[in-house]
Amino acid sequence: MRNSMQALELAKNTVAQALEVGAHQAEAVVMTARKFSGEARGERITSLERSVASALTLRVICGGRRASCSTTESDPTILAAMIRKTVDAAAHVSVDPLLSLPEEFAPDDGIDLELYDSSIDQREDDARLTDTLTMERSLRSADSRIIEGGSSHYADATIGIAFANSHDFARAYTTTRASRSSSPLALDGSTKRTAHFGTAARYLGALDTCVEVAQLAAKRATELFGARKAPTGTMTVIFERDVAASVLADLFAACSAANVAVGNSWLTGRIGDRIGSSQVMISDNGRIPRALGSHPFDSEGVATRVTPVFEAGVLRSYLSDTYYGRKLGISSTGNAMGGGVGPTTFALQPGTVTLHDLIATTKRGILVLDIIGFAHEYASGSYSRGARGLYIENGEIAYPVEEFTIASEMPRMLSGIDAVANDICYDSDIVSPSFRIDEMSIGGA
Amino acid sequence: MIDESLLARIFERALRHGGEFADVFAERRSTLAFRLQNGHVHEGVVGLSSGVGIRVVCGESAGYAYSEDISEAALLVAAASASLIARHTPTGTQRGSRIGASLPTLYAARDHQASSASFAELLSRAESTARAFDSRISAVNAHAVDELQEVWIATSDGRRMHDLRPMVTFGVQAIAGSGASRGSGYAADGGRTSLDYFLTHPVEELASDAARIALVNMDARPAPTGEMEMIVGSGGGGVLLHEAVGHGLEGDFNQKGTSLYAGRIGERVASELVTIYDDGDLPEERGSISCDDEGNPGAHTVLVENGILRGYLLDEINAGLLGMATTGNGRRQSFAHLPIPRMCNTFMPPGTSTVDEIVRSTKRGIYAKSFAGGQVEISRGDFVFMIAEGYLVEDGKITAPIKNATIVGNGPEIMTRVVAVADDARLARRHYTCGKNGQYVPVGVGMPTVKIGAITVGGTADA
Repeated sequence: MRNSMQALELAKNTVAQALEVGAHQAEAVVMTARKFSGEARGERITSLERSVASALTLRVICGGRRASCSTTESDPTILAAMIRKTVDAAAHVSVDPLLSLPEEFAPDDGIDLELYDSSIDQREDDARLTDTLTMERSLRSADSRIIEGGSSHYADATIGIAFANSHDFARAYTTTRASRSSSPLALDGSTKRTAHFGTAARYLGALDTCVEVAQLAAKRATELFGARKAPTGTMTVIFERDVAASVLADLFAACSAANVAVGNSWLTGRIGDRIGSSQVMISDNGRIPRALGSHPFDSEGVATRVTPVFEAGVLRSYLSDTYYGRKLGISSTGNAMGGGVGPTTFALQPGTVTLHDLIATTKRGILVLDIIGFAHEYASGSYSRGARGLYIENGEIAYPVEEFTIASEMPRMLSGIDAVANDICYDSDIVSPSFRIDEMSIGGA
Repeated sequence: MIDESLLARIFERALRHGGEFADVFAERRSTLAFRLQNGHVHEGVVGLSSGVGIRVVCGESAGYAYSEDISEAALLVAAASASLIARHTPTGTQRGSRIGASLPTLYAARDHQASSASFAELLSRAESTARAFDSRISAVNAHAVDELQEVWIATSDGRRMHDLRPMVTFGVQAIAGSGASRGSGYAADGGRTSLDYFLTHPVEELASDAARIALVNMDARPAPTGEMEMIVGSGGGGVLLHEAVGHGLEGDFNQKGTSLYAGRIGERVASELVTIYDDGDLPEERGSISCDDEGNPGAHTVLVENGILRGYLLDEINAGLLGMATTGNGRRQSFAHLPIPRMCNTFMPPGTSTVDEIVRSTKRGIYAKSFAGGQVEISRGDFVFMIAEGYLVEDGKITAPIKNATIVGNGPEIMTRVVAVADDARLARRHYTCGKNGQYVPVGVGMPTVKIGAITVGGTADA
């Protein structure tokens, strides 16, 4: 595996070569990755994967024309040909005067975001595989209704990022991440039910233990036993934290300047408008120590930061890289990611009540535990998904429900958030505590 | 790509601790793509990746390692990493091989990509067509991709395969806006051919379709909520087969017993009107493969025949464990991934009803002309799909357009509720991509117009 000095040299050389063959500006990222993943089923290891990989991404700007290149090639002759091909491709792109590198780059402030855990990097394969077997054993002891056919996984990676551009900005950093997950199979009468629970973190010690992962996965596999079809109607919906995060992911897409600038967002032209309820406090934060979404700088070398996106329901800012920011007349928020716009840690601020409190104060509604389906456009703000969960009557869980839809419009959903729980968990780059929406349309029996 | 003497050393290293067989998958993928955004060709994208994946198979277990560095030293390290699986699991005996004598020729080999200038011209034509379609079209985005994937497959028992797979894709998104109401429309096509495909399938048709759908969705009213009849449109309606049945018949889910179709070959699983094939061997289709990523030829596989379950989609490992032959459906996203059973082109042949009869017989329901995608949960067969273009059906007539809605159902249940199959079977435009276990592969779908007796629609209007 290339070390970070070698990777940084390759990035710098690539930028220099691009300038030599006609690029006016250039930036290059060399990503090196060491990865491990293992899977167990019952008492047996069923998959073991290891890799060492390296990829180079080059972006060139030639007189307001942009092209990019990504390659795994390391042969200097092939690389030189690729760089030339990239500069040639730019000639067939329209001139866009807004295209140029950022003006300001992340200062070397000496702040350690604590993104690297050597105990992940140096973990022995046997210990990694033992995790998968421990989760499998714990699944079976967690609940006798768990049957053969499920699996448990452990994965980890060490990722090195080396970045250089034609403004003489050149820096590298290394991150680690590890994850444990369990996907049990349970027998509910003659019906089989699968479920999934996972934990991920930059530090090994921050992961839920194997036993915890297995127990939560087993709970998910069995809590819908005997589920009925939900009744059709309008009612209160509580999103449990993982599905709440998926709603936030749809909201992130609408907040992304890359969508706003091309008209593919229902939030276009809405800065300063009150859209959500007073409970809607959402920010994007790239500076949380040890968080999976944290980076010292974004994929253009711009410093990451804290950006308030919604304050008490009012839309304050889109999230942007340099180019789409210029299109919208705003500065980059340090959200450039892989040629587009991505989150650092995009999160809804937790409230003070528990999920149990949300249920106890709901007269009639559904606690949604799982949703399937995804957004295919962000222009209309329509929201409709398949769902599974628990039906609530008079503040208590009445029975499990499945094979129903939940639907609304995104603006209506945000203004309908009337309670936010305190159960946030920073296990991804888009996270949320559980929250409640006063009413949505339920399509069921 | 790798010479025989090095292959021998790789296999020797890979099988040192045991295992039934090992294979080497070498790949080179070259991409040229351009994107158009708001009237301008915005970016050119060049890609070249290559690498080698080495797999060691032990019973139901696999060890896998890949490397982008294809030097002898790196490949031998990868082989040693993959070999470690055999220290954790006993060697099995089964292998579901089914190698044909020769591979079908499904697409023309080419080693050159389209010129950058031809991309820019196609994109500009699509943009101006969509804009000219209606003054309410407020934004147009488009992309064009030309990709060549070349693969070499070598197995420890001497099989050597080579396949050069071209793929072009052209997609147009149009956004319509008027006051506060917005609508989005998308159309795309392509296949395992060259950019010349668009000489006979003009991008203007895609652009007009995207614009038309955006306007339909802008004017659409909230979809109804609850259970009702549904007419599924021909072609793109095939997403229904892919989600409701196809995934549940993939061999891994059946070998492990996770699928509700496990152990049910020969049983009735659908209405007798339902027949479903998976075809890996159709010329130029997006899901076609001369050979799969284990080196077996792409094939015609009968999954369901007149409602009776006939077969699964299999790769070598799962075929072996089930005591069956592979169906040539072992596919992978790239050299960085293990092959797993995947669909190719999933298709339902024509029935005997007419579309007119189907519409006239529908008292109250929805017409899902096309889907934007779908998803399924394997063990119970619960699925969703998202309507891209849909209408109300009232008293035997197709009436008002409805907003993007999700449909939910249970695969086996829905398949017993197929009450009519029309005579208008066709393959959908070629633009579908299927995701499974984090791996994305191109697929195709197709079917005739079909009527489902009852399904749950997730709108916001009262039922």
